[in-house]
Amino acid sequence: MRREFLSSEQQKKGIHFDPRTKLLLILIISVFVLGGAGGNAMYFLRPVLSLVPFAMLISVGRGFHAALYIIAYTVCYVAQLILLPILTGFTNFLVLILAGTFCRFLPGFIIAYFVVTTTTVSEFMAGMERMHMPSKITIPLSVVFRFAPTVLEEAASINDAMKMRGIRFGGKKSSKILEYRLIPMITCSVKIGEELSAAALTRGLGAPLKRTNICEIGFHFPDVIIFILCGVTVAWAIFSAFSI
Amino acid sequence: MAKDVTQKVSNHIGGKDLITVGIYTVIYIVIIGIFGALSFIPIFIPLTAVFCPLIGGIPFMLYVTKAKKFGMTTIMGTLIGVLMFVMGMGYWVAITGLVFGLIADLVLKSGKYQSAKRTILACGFFSMWEFGNLMPFFVGREAYLAQLQEGYGAEYVSTVSSYMPMWILPILLIATFIFGLLGGLIGKAICKKHFKRAGIA
Repeated sequence: MRREFLSSEQQKKGIHFDPRTKLLLILIISVFVLGGAGGNAMYFLRPVLSLVPFAMLISVGRGFHAALYIIAYTVCYVAQLILLPILTGFTNFLVLILAGTFCRFLPGFIIAYFVVTTTTVSEFMAGMERMHMPSKITIPLSVVFRFAPTVLEEAASINDAMKMRGIRFGGKKSSKILEYRLIPMITCSVKIGEELSAAALTRGLGAPLKRTNICEIGFHFPDVIIFILCGVTVAWAIFSAFSI
Repeated sequence: MAKDVTQKVSNHIGGKDLITVGIYTVIYIVIIGIFGALSFIPIFIPLTAVFCPLIGGIPFMLYVTKAKKFGMTTIMGTLIGVLMFVMGMGYWVAITGLVFGLIADLVLKSGKYQSAKRTILACGFFSMWEFGNLMPFFVGREAYLAQLQEGYGAEYVSTVSSYMPMWILPILLIATFIFGLLGGLIGKAICKKHFKRAGIA
């Protein structure tokens, strides 16, 4: 099956969140967990925010993924707390990269995974339209989401092909890595992109009319909970920034 | 019908152009990401100002053969900035993405989207968005280092700050521009050698 970022089929089971709520969550988590804004004041809120992707995955019935995520996160978090102060030198560096990077990147990665697999392109566009985002931003953005898996897939295939020809790090022709891998990847992607663009135009993307949408989006009770959580986080960050 | 065709060539950004922007943004970010991923190793942090513009020149020079309308490069810069911001590079990159995208766009426009020299110059300016990724090291340095220390430990931070002293700021800013120009030259050569032959430039 093809990997897809923004899925084309609507999610069937579980709680529906508004696409705007999901975007807000991505923003909050990327600022406070991934970007580490707020410094030490966010020390306790950060793990709480990191629990949100877990709850979201549960809410759409992906218990297995949720369990995997929570185990990985807990291991890294504990490793960071206990191991880091007692290790030095190279082992310290290794633990730091593994645990530190995972702790920061995993929540953001999982929430992004959750959002892009449960939101359809139509829902995304509908949400953006309600926020009055200009189509000059939303169309390229939805192309980015639609097209990124394709490019990665092409890159992986070309990687395999070049490995077979011995063009890899430490191989005989390692100086040709760049040219032999980047160029076919770009050429392939551009060709696929042209086809994608033709397909989208056939379906009326370039038409000078306002596009309509049949997606029903709106805020419900689950959205309100997320909004309160995000509000508390921002308020706490502002409050602690001023109290210092 | 003939009127429609002439309108398409006009300065209005249509659906096809927006899709083009999206496609090249993905290609650009994937290529940058290959080198950007190395930057958790301290020595590669200042070196991103060298490698990313050099490599980024290739997709950019191909992109400008398609982007002949004012605004497209600005949108691309903004999108790259916003996506980098969401990927956790700090908010500065969203600003530099917009600003240097706009400057590159103006340079391209001044050459009427034809001049080869202006395209390379635009590539140099466009590459300076990369500087936004490094901005947290200089603006609000203390807070950023403290926050790094919390996540990565004191040893890592002392290594990183020794590679990224304050005086390196103008050097990095100029480096992104110079290597952006070089990247533009490389990109131009590769366009000629490969993409023209493949019929996509």
